[in-house]
Amino acid sequence: MNIVDGVLEEAKRYGCAQVEAVHLRLGPLSGVNPNALLFAYPMACEGTILENSRLEIIAAESNELEITAFETAEEEDEVRE
Amino acid sequence: MSREPRLIEVRRKVLKENDLLARALRERFRQAKVCVISLVSSPGSGKTTFLERVLTDLRPHYRVAALVGDLATENDALRLARSQAPVRQITTGTICHLDAGMVERALDGWQLDQLDFLFIENVGNLVCPSSYDLGEDLRLVLLSTTEGEDKPLKYPTIFNTADVAVITKMDLAAAVDFDLIAVRANINHVCPGMQILEVSAKTGLGMQSLMEYFDSRRPMPSRD
Repeated sequence: MNIVDGVLEEAKRYGCAQVEAVHLRLGPLSGVNPNALLFAYPMACEGTILENSRLEIIAAESNELEITAFETAEEEDEVRE
Repeated sequence: MSREPRLIEVRRKVLKENDLLARALRERFRQAKVCVISLVSSPGSGKTTFLERVLTDLRPHYRVAALVGDLATENDALRLARSQAPVRQITTGTICHLDAGMVERALDGWQLDQLDFLFIENVGNLVCPSSYDLGEDLRLVLLSTTEGEDKPLKYPTIFNTADVAVITKMDLAAAVDFDLIAVRANINHVCPGMQILEVSAKTGLGMQSLMEYFDSRRPMPSRD
């Protein structure tokens, strides 16, 4: 799943061991249904550092589909840029 | 030390991977001077029959090839191979659409610059294929006369992402009381000004003007 893979890659880049939440902007013309996505999300996260994370969908316009941010619970000084 | 949640901003487009791949494919097609035409429609609207006819009619004059996507079986590739054109099947397993990566992999070993036209028949589905750019020059959406006239209203996204609407099975239009005026109005409603062609792969109706249209879309116009 593109969203999980995208976050995994970003989290790796920031050296995060666990992701608590993912923020996603989603437009009505993106071809992605928010309810279907919320249903599938936990299964896509299984076995990854995104397991048990929240998916926060932000209603956007047009065909937008963008991961805007993710939350991590790690201590500041453990995180390397 | 606190365990305060930390917010990391990333701004990353989810379908970016596909868009980048599609862009690279489009550039490859452009350099090879091959006109790439994809077909989308619901299952059973006659994509394969239409494509078999198109390949057969084009083949004496142009170098043509096709990729065909389905969840399972090689049936369509076997059918299309009757046209004598090179054909490859993409089986997607459980995936309901083609993406640019599948197209790229399926092209492995083919000399694109030896082709005038490459056709890509997508998985029969009016929803998901609309989200995936395959690098094609032209996307045709097929709608058969045996489907409801309001399909364009029910599935506006796919009509919006396509360049041309092709109405297939025109030979059955009278038998099923097909309302061509209503369909044209519905297509125009979701995608104003969209070009609409009417064909019957069975009788050959409209195929000549379709061939002329395809020819006009080639990167280098033919000189014969």
